[in-house]
Amino acid sequence: MKKYIYALIITCLIIFFSSFSRTVTIDESLPLIASFVKSPAQLHFNTISYDPSPSGNFLTLTIPMKHAGRLLLIEANIDGQTGNLVFDTGATDLVLNKTYFRDYMAISNENAGGITGAAGEVNRTIVGKVQISDLFYENVNASIANLAHIENRKGIKILGLLGLNMIKKFEMLIDLQKGKLRLTRLDKKGNSMVENQALHFDLVHKIKETNNIMLINANVSGKTLNFCLDTGAESNVLNSYAPKKVFNSVSIIRRSNLSGAGSQNSEVLLGVMKDFSIGNKKISGMQTIITNLSALSDVYGIQIDGMLGYDFFEKGVFCINLAKKEMGICFSKEKEAE
Amino acid sequence: MFFLLFAGFYAKAQHLPDNICHVNNGKLVFTINLNWTDEQIHELSQTYELDSTVISSTFKELPSFTVNGIVWTTKIIKNNIIELSKELSPPFPPSVPANQIMKFDIPVLDENWIKKVASTTTDNTVYGINNLTNAKYFSYINDTATFFLYGYTYAREMFISGSFNNWSTRQSAMALTDSGWRISLTMKPGKYAYKFIADGNWLRDPNNKLKENDTYGGNNSIVFCYNYTFRLKGYTQAGKVILTGSFNNWNTKELKMQRNAEGWELPIFLKEGTHAYKFIVDKEWITDPDNKIIHSDGKGNVNSFIGIGDTLVFRLQGYQNALRVALTGSFNGWNPNELFMEKINNEWVLPYVMAAGNHEYKFCVDGKWITDPDNPVTIGKGDMMNSVIAFKPNYTFKLNHYADAREVIVTGSFNGWRTDGYRMKFINGIWEIPVFLAPGKYIYKFIVDGKWITDPDNQYWEGNEYNTGNSVLWIEP
Repeated sequence: MKKYIYALIITCLIIFFSSFSRTVTIDESLPLIASFVKSPAQLHFNTISYDPSPSGNFLTLTIPMKHAGRLLLIEANIDGQTGNLVFDTGATDLVLNKTYFRDYMAISNENAGGITGAAGEVNRTIVGKVQISDLFYENVNASIANLAHIENRKGIKILGLLGLNMIKKFEMLIDLQKGKLRLTRLDKKGNSMVENQALHFDLVHKIKETNNIMLINANVSGKTLNFCLDTGAESNVLNSYAPKKVFNSVSIIRRSNLSGAGSQNSEVLLGVMKDFSIGNKKISGMQTIITNLSALSDVYGIQIDGMLGYDFFEKGVFCINLAKKEMGICFSKEKEAE
Repeated sequence: MFFLLFAGFYAKAQHLPDNICHVNNGKLVFTINLNWTDEQIHELSQTYELDSTVISSTFKELPSFTVNGIVWTTKIIKNNIIELSKELSPPFPPSVPANQIMKFDIPVLDENWIKKVASTTTDNTVYGINNLTNAKYFSYINDTATFFLYGYTYAREMFISGSFNNWSTRQSAMALTDSGWRISLTMKPGKYAYKFIADGNWLRDPNNKLKENDTYGGNNSIVFCYNYTFRLKGYTQAGKVILTGSFNNWNTKELKMQRNAEGWELPIFLKEGTHAYKFIVDKEWITDPDNKIIHSDGKGNVNSFIGIGDTLVFRLQGYQNALRVALTGSFNGWNPNELFMEKINNEWVLPYVMAAGNHEYKFCVDGKWITDPDNPVTIGKGDMMNSVIAFKPNYTFKLNHYADAREVIVTGSFNGWRTDGYRMKFINGIWEIPVFLAPGKYIYKFIVDGKWITDPDNQYWEGNEYNTGNSVLWIEP
């Protein structure tokens, strides 16, 4: 019986996918990286609320996170394979590393209307079960992408990326210093089902979710900018096309020429945002890469001025409730001794 | 794709003033003082990758110049202060679609530039002694390590995560006892870092005083699994006995031996290799009376010696008329005048204590260097060909179905993709080679009579820059 239901669901999805794939134009140069992946298909899914349904017998669940340099890892079991997922709210959904899920691609290409780009392929598939601690999902929609470069750079096995739509239905408490992600169920009104007695937020800030990415406003040089909140970004990124005034308080501390692929005219800049604030809270010394993000904005379907990543999240404890469109922050004092 | 370019960056600016570079109106602008010292100019050039032509043209106060197709302009702001500027360049070459810029590659700049954390990848710990508040919290007997965490009985679940289980947060569940949590794990001698996880929350071992910075603002607990016990019989009247040796730089206070029924002892972790040592009995330095291996250090001191690790016996048959045969290899810096072999019956023999690993070696027979005639595994060509032995190998590369091949080589990230070895052996219809691989990820290929192929029996592979694949192998700790 179960098998039958599964087959039925898949068939429905296949029909949906295949009908859909005729109506969308597929970008030949789909991005290699899933965080930047925002296929039109996904956008469409979101509008009909096709998000994975989390299960598990808990009201609140603390999941230990591991650091790999400035990446955050969460242990998961995906259809029997155990390994690390990068906690990456800059990815819209679950992304699997092609190396370990190559066999799934055949399924996706034949049945689910896989999307194949010229340089980087991103395929869609469905995985049977994803288990993270006591949290599990069944029949999860996922992308498959080549993540070998992350593995090779970090020397750590990466099964995939844990994107935002997997956990956005929970209140998310992100605590880098203690290395934990705490997920708490929300009631129908979007209230946390476990009181946060111990937390006194220094700041409660508006946050919104659009197309499975999180956006907040923050100020640089007195200008209000639209930042994507991205736990998978090892560094903050500021769009070089942000309003000119922004750069009044950004000092460039490094520059690198990139001489790849026959061009001598490209560079990457590292700067310090000397006047960065969120709400009424100033945060000093925020380092950032400065680069052109217009392509990323196209991919996300939203104009973004930058991304806030590891440098931002290490400033405190963040409690995000997307149903309430609120983010509470406890800024860390001086680093406390253990 | 690009991150290799960023290796080897210098540390952050030391001599330059702040605010010398900013972005303004789509331009990258430098504010340069013409009176800067050579040191400062050098740093300017390094920090911002400005080549010598750009620097010299600026200091010649040329109003505009073009270097490698980039147009630079200068403007004198006031006395000796010059503004150098150029249009901002696209961040990546135009040949790469901008939306393929990899987020995960950009921060590599950051890591190399900022270098916030010390690297912990190389651990050269030579010896170690545990420091727990009570021996009941950790024991290591017969390759089994047992951890006990007192209390926390209210927790729903408890895991131990450490370097022994690849820091898995779910693999090693501890069992609840009436007073705490316990787990026994099979472990090899060595040094290990770990933490407990109580209902998802990381917890340093409260009963272990030995800790190390985890480089993320906390500490890991450290434990050693011992592989040797120093013993000194008698001397029961002595007030104290200290163990000192080459491993702790002959420290005269650190390693206090413990009394036992027969005399003194000290269990310890010692890294594989050969160590010199002595006992200090109430300030008197003595060699180990139960160890016959003593050598002079050439300065009038005599020390006891101990080899930790397993012994590999090197053998060379024949060469009965040779006067002198020496073993030489990567393990002794290819010194041909050190490890002389002994002629026993019809062969030359030398037992040698070695660490696990892949070792290259040759024999030096009366000054002539030869590979091991009984070992078909070699690397290199012609005079540069060496024999290779995997001592205590932990993995065997195997290739089926190529019985007709003349030569099969396995190459990969473990040997820098050398195309001249390791040559595999053809045994019972299968090409194979045992190797030692440290824990981590390896990518590899076979070269069958010059043709590169992925491992047909390994389902895991990843794409490479040549638009083909490399086989992927993980060695777990």
